[in-house]
Amino acid sequence: MNELISAAAQLAWPLALVVSWMAGELAHRWTGIPRISMYGLAGFLAGNLALKVQGPIDHSPYLLLASLAFGLILFELGYRINLRWLRANPWILATSLLESGITFLAVWLAAHWFGAPPISCGLLGALAMATSPAGLLRVLNEEGAGGQVSERAMHLAALNCVAAVFVFNLIVAVKVFQTSGDLLHAAGTTLLVLAASGVLGALAGTLVPLWLKSLGGKNATLTFALAVLLLVAVTHVLKMSPVFAALCFGLAARHRRSALGVAQRNFGALGDLLSVLLFVFAASTLTWDNVSQGLVLGLLLVLVRLLAKVCVCAVLARPSGISVRKGALSGLALAPLAVFVVLMIEQTRRLGVDFNYSLAPLTAIALVLQVVGPLITQRALIWADETHQHKEV
Amino acid sequence: MTLGAFATSESLTMGVELELQLVSLSDFDLVPASPDMLELLARAPFPGNVTPEITQSMIEINSSVHTGFDALLAQLREIRDTLLAAGRRLNVGVCGGGTHPFQQWSERRIFSKPRFHEVSQLYGYLAKQFTVFGQHVHIGCRSGDEAMYLLHALNRYVPHFIALSGSSPFLQGADTSFQSARLNSVFAFPLSGRAPFLLSWNAFAEDYFERMAGTGIVRSMKDFYWDLRPKPEYGTIELRVCDTPLSVERAAALACYLQALCSYLLAGNEPAPREDDYLVYNYNRFQACRFGLDGTLVHPQRHEPAVLRDDILATLRRLEPHFAALGSGAALEQLRRDIHMGSDADYLRQAFREGGSREAIVDAALGRFSQDQSAWA
Repeated sequence: MNELISAAAQLAWPLALVVSWMAGELAHRWTGIPRISMYGLAGFLAGNLALKVQGPIDHSPYLLLASLAFGLILFELGYRINLRWLRANPWILATSLLESGITFLAVWLAAHWFGAPPISCGLLGALAMATSPAGLLRVLNEEGAGGQVSERAMHLAALNCVAAVFVFNLIVAVKVFQTSGDLLHAAGTTLLVLAASGVLGALAGTLVPLWLKSLGGKNATLTFALAVLLLVAVTHVLKMSPVFAALCFGLAARHRRSALGVAQRNFGALGDLLSVLLFVFAASTLTWDNVSQGLVLGLLLVLVRLLAKVCVCAVLARPSGISVRKGALSGLALAPLAVFVVLMIEQTRRLGVDFNYSLAPLTAIALVLQVVGPLITQRALIWADETHQHKEV
Repeated sequence: MTLGAFATSESLTMGVELELQLVSLSDFDLVPASPDMLELLARAPFPGNVTPEITQSMIEINSSVHTGFDALLAQLREIRDTLLAAGRRLNVGVCGGGTHPFQQWSERRIFSKPRFHEVSQLYGYLAKQFTVFGQHVHIGCRSGDEAMYLLHALNRYVPHFIALSGSSPFLQGADTSFQSARLNSVFAFPLSGRAPFLLSWNAFAEDYFERMAGTGIVRSMKDFYWDLRPKPEYGTIELRVCDTPLSVERAAALACYLQALCSYLLAGNEPAPREDDYLVYNYNRFQACRFGLDGTLVHPQRHEPAVLRDDILATLRRLEPHFAALGSGAALEQLRRDIHMGSDADYLRQAFREGGSREAIVDAALGRFSQDQSAWA
């Protein structure tokens, strides 16, 4: 019996990956729902099943791979961001600041009203600001999307992720570690960590294109992937922000106009493989106990967050140059959150921080949005008529 | 089905249509931005006119009717600045060039309009490969007969316009070695090429068009993709061989070149066109597409070879009084300077060599479109 269990344990991950991938393909073909929604669902089931059979699992070997997958996606996001746009149309930046600020406040207040302790309110609010670039970008690429909703969702996601990382780290520094209670000092330290991560990313974004150019631009996909791997590992070890570093890497590479052809969107098959792993891994860390415990608050916060994002984007739509309808849809497209939350939780845990009360609602939010988030983004794109595949009837 | 009467226009008036590229300022690929651009542009009056094109990554603008270079150029610049301002708010770049250097045709989205979906269904991949960007120039004619005369008298000069506007050296990510690869895409359509050799409007409208319409192949003049075609509703002939140049200055100068040529031809300076003129037509056209100003023309009546650049410069000398009479002396200077500077295609190739990436080509095109030419001449 023990042998059987040990054999099952060794096969658990590969099997879970293959089954999740197949489920994703079949569901996408039959119903058109985003593949990653199925990966999430399958990962959640597999993770909980494994937990029942063999007890707690050591995630750490997969965490690095998942971080790499996330890093690749962030790199691609950075590569598709145009910082000059923020200067040319200041309303984009205003939308971003208001959108993430009001989401933070709204979620904080809702959690407070629900009776959550102050630290938890802050952590929940901070994470709710973000849009998971993984969920967003996979859906955008799957749909071949293009247009203002897609373009704005990408820019807003990049900005609100940075804001979320900053506020989250700030709260962790001040409240959880009780460092000195000095907000300014903590903010300074957090900013410094972000800045250092950014500098590392920008350095990579300058050096790697130089290397590529000297090789005549061959094997760009592999080169960038390996560089992201190294960057993520280094920032992990140095306890910096892999999210910000990978984003800045993409940004710097883009502004050097280094060619990453359209064919390599998603980093090709390598990116597809890693993203199956990423989404299955992320969902497998969510335990049923936590989900059921935090479900009510989680659902409340999901709604409040989405409402805040949609409202701000709709209100600022006209001055920023699009219709109110498209503005609201761009807010709706910001729904995905799950993978970002899971990775932030896992990385913060490594620092020895316990989430206590916040963990259950966060787990519930992650599960709900891992499955529903991509669907919402997909709907927003379809309603905005920005998808490539029109289903002919 | 009949064509209807040929509307009369004031002779030698001109109008310009430009098909422009919409590219993402983030990754420099074509972006399906025309619905968003049109929505934003509709908020304020537009100088001239702007319409969607078959793919959502393309937008078409047209000028009003003009008689001289200065007013035409001023309006084109105003249109350009309006487009650029709208694009800046949407992270969309607007530029000229006959092709986008690395777009993949399979990625393009058809603008939602019944005619476009029809065309897309009929032509399959050709419709998407037709994501190419041209300049059309209209010249006003007093009668249908005058239009038909000009249409055929111009045959020998068509390569001039191809060479002067050639700005599509790259296609689907590769250097085609052509100066205008765009015209190869146009040539793939069954009703492309040249109009039948008929010199009277009645013969064209009644004998030719009605018989063609009777076959069910065509329903309107829009179904012909000829290099030069009459446009009876406007009372014009329309030259369609030009790639959209990288700058509005060159676009305006090309229109004035056509205007001056028509003035010269109407003054009876050349022997009447003959059907045999077309023996060399496709060959000359190919030379202009492939080699641009360095191509070799064969004169349709004298059968002498000449380098295109020399032939254009000689023609410009003959046209001097006509440019002057039309108040377009500045256009003549512009054309001479353009020939001296080299083609837009050369400029794009140079941008690729210097920048080292395909994105750099688009960046160069964006830069040239956004500046007044006097800034870099």
